[in-house]
Amino acid sequence: MLKYQREVGPDSGAVPTQAPNCVITERWVDRTAVVSASGDIDMLSAPALEESIRTALDKDPVALVVDFSAVEFLASAGMGVLVAVHDDAAPSVGFCVVADGPATSRPLQLVGIADIVQVYPTLDEALAALNA
Amino acid sequence: MIDSMSTGEVANAERFERAGITADAGTAARTREEFTHWLHQFFDLDPVRTIDVVLAINEALANSAEFAYLLATRPGTMDVQARYDTRDARLTVTISDNGLWRGATADNRTRGRGIPLMRALSDRAMVETSSSGTRVCLEWSDVHQV
Repeated sequence: MLKYQREVGPDSGAVPTQAPNCVITERWVDRTAVVSASGDIDMLSAPALEESIRTALDKDPVALVVDFSAVEFLASAGMGVLVAVHDDAAPSVGFCVVADGPATSRPLQLVGIADIVQVYPTLDEALAALNA
Repeated sequence: MIDSMSTGEVANAERFERAGITADAGTAARTREEFTHWLHQFFDLDPVRTIDVVLAINEALANSAEFAYLLATRPGTMDVQARYDTRDARLTVTISDNGLWRGATADNRTRGRGIPLMRALSDRAMVETSSSGTRVCLEWSDVHQV
């Protein structure tokens, strides 16, 4: 099983996010890439989020999960990234988002993104749905 | 009691102000954090409502930071003013800039959610754009202090 982890954050050697409040990591569950973010996703950190997702897509995953379980704040800049990536990835690559709570899943529903991108409350449910 | 940090900065139980701050992404994030702290300090808001208010003002700040001064050679400024009316239990937040919102059109699926979000998250949202700038006014009713 391939495992790859890369941290994009202020202390890593990778691309600096210029957003100390957001840490993005990439890991793999079989051929599914899971890009996780923590902290705040706003106009400062959204470009790094998009770059991390596209980097993962370049590795030809069967599916990609964007995990916002540890995200405390999600602005429209971050939501736009989800739609852009979804439109590029689907339908050949499975794509979904993990989000739960007032900071993440509520805004996604309010602006109708949950109608465009599949959103699951936990990573386990997302992975189960992708493998179904 | 007035609690001033510096010229143009106010944060007390009824007012939060940041005047003439740079309209860029870093300042927007910092202002959002300071505003969140002010909310927690003086108001009794549940987690959902707190996020609603913070996200709505963030979208207004982000729009000013991103669109107001696109045609200028350097960022301009924006102003944030929050007022709490104890009689009406109403919180009013005004975010304004002196730029021209160029490019702020919802012409594809990935952009343009800021204003719809502001409207969905607040009890009342007014966006006024003129040749001298943009003013966003957001209101929340039935807000109570700590």
